[in-house]
Amino acid sequence: MSTPDNATLRDLAAAYALGALSREEARAFEAFLATSPETQREVDEFRETAALLALGSEAELPSPELRGRVQAAIAATKEQGLAVRTPAAPRALALARRAAWPPLAWVGLAAALLAAVGLGVRTRTLGREIATRDSAIAELERRVDELGQGVFDRDAILAAVLDRDVKLVQLTASGNPDPAIQVFWNRARNTALLNATGLKPAPPGRTYQLWWIRDGKPVPSVTFDIDAAGAGLVKGVSVPTDGELSAAAVTEEPAGGSQQPTSPILLVGALPKS
Amino acid sequence: MGAFSYAPAGSRLDACDMHSAGSLSPAADRELVARAATGDERAMSDLYDRYGTVLYAVAYRVVGQRADAEEVVVEAFTQAWRDASRFEAARGSVAAWLTMIARSRALDLVRARGRRDKLAARAALSGLDAGPAPSAGENPADRAEDDERRRMVRQAIEALSPPQRQAIELAFFEGLSQSEIAARLNEPLGTVKTRVRLGMQKLRESLRPYFFERVT
Repeated sequence: MSTPDNATLRDLAAAYALGALSREEARAFEAFLATSPETQREVDEFRETAALLALGSEAELPSPELRGRVQAAIAATKEQGLAVRTPAAPRALALARRAAWPPLAWVGLAAALLAAVGLGVRTRTLGREIATRDSAIAELERRVDELGQGVFDRDAILAAVLDRDVKLVQLTASGNPDPAIQVFWNRARNTALLNATGLKPAPPGRTYQLWWIRDGKPVPSVTFDIDAAGAGLVKGVSVPTDGELSAAAVTEEPAGGSQQPTSPILLVGALPKS
Repeated sequence: MGAFSYAPAGSRLDACDMHSAGSLSPAADRELVARAATGDERAMSDLYDRYGTVLYAVAYRVVGQRADAEEVVVEAFTQAWRDASRFEAARGSVAAWLTMIARSRALDLVRARGRRDKLAARAALSGLDAGPAPSAGENPADRAEDDERRRMVRQAIEALSPPQRQAIELAFFEGLSQSEIAARLNEPLGTVKTRVRLGMQKLRESLRPYFFERVT
């Protein structure tokens, strides 16, 4: 399977914002997105665009009661941490009270009407409860899907690391075993997976950048961020195919990355010769 | 008018509470979300006042029925309440965040019920599931400003070629992937991808002045 290039991936920004990518496309795009602030900005703009689409359709406004239902649902969630319950319509109770005063002859009819109204209200309430439960089930399904996605991602990483064509390159700081970066270089596919540990998050406005050393000169590669735990992972890093690669190195650069290193090398490791 | 033109309950969407780029207050929105994250329920009421009708509009368009759309709005605001602490201001506006939650919940509801034929939606859009009449209590100036904004959004959508509009609407309102759209329309996948990309680029250029929040 070929790896899409960055231009191809950038073209997916609009579809990503619309939620129109397949799972595989979305995964590849998100890995690329983590390395491209410019594309992230595009995605943000397309999200704002998509959010306006709702205003292009004819629709009525919600009922005046909806605000109260939202407030009640949030209060219920706050107090109980449970799913939302829709309050029953008070109209049935009012009708029940009114039914008490008619003459005897009307009692039967009133009772029948009351039963009909009550049945209608009950049906509506049940309908709302079913809708609420449907939504809760859908939410659970979404979370299961997310968990499944996480497992799938880990499997994909494991497969990428264990591929027979992969060579491990260890990038270290001089005289310091921690931090460290592992570069899993798939020489058959010309891609790499970067796994960083023990790095401090870059200062505000700064980022880490990977460099390939080709024919003795640095070739800019991806930028990446480090989380609070000191870890970072970048998948699908492109590896130059022309020239002789001798090493990989990491520097700290201004946000967005540089075309040439602007600071000393922090970590470096030699690449195995082919 | 202020940052928002809240449409009184019972009025039509023409008086939608979307704000203009010139008067928006994204900082106030973010403050509301931050307050919600600390457990302030009133912040959610304020967010409903600002965006309830927008969320209802997207929910209604997806599910096609008033009762379902309202249920989606309840679910969306409840989820926003639960997830408020995870809102990332750097990733876009509060309005876009809420809208996307509502869209997801609406699509979940449709999927859960296997109601993807859109018949209900079409019936509703034809007026068979009509709502209340316009309110008499609106401020005419607010109404005119909102009408203008809404008109611009419609105009931008209508300026798309019909295939572009169709592809984007299938993606956004029916939750179809580009591959699924291609299969549904019996068109090559590449053609669908191009329509989505070019259509969204065109919309973005037209609607940038009307974004809920400027992207920097």
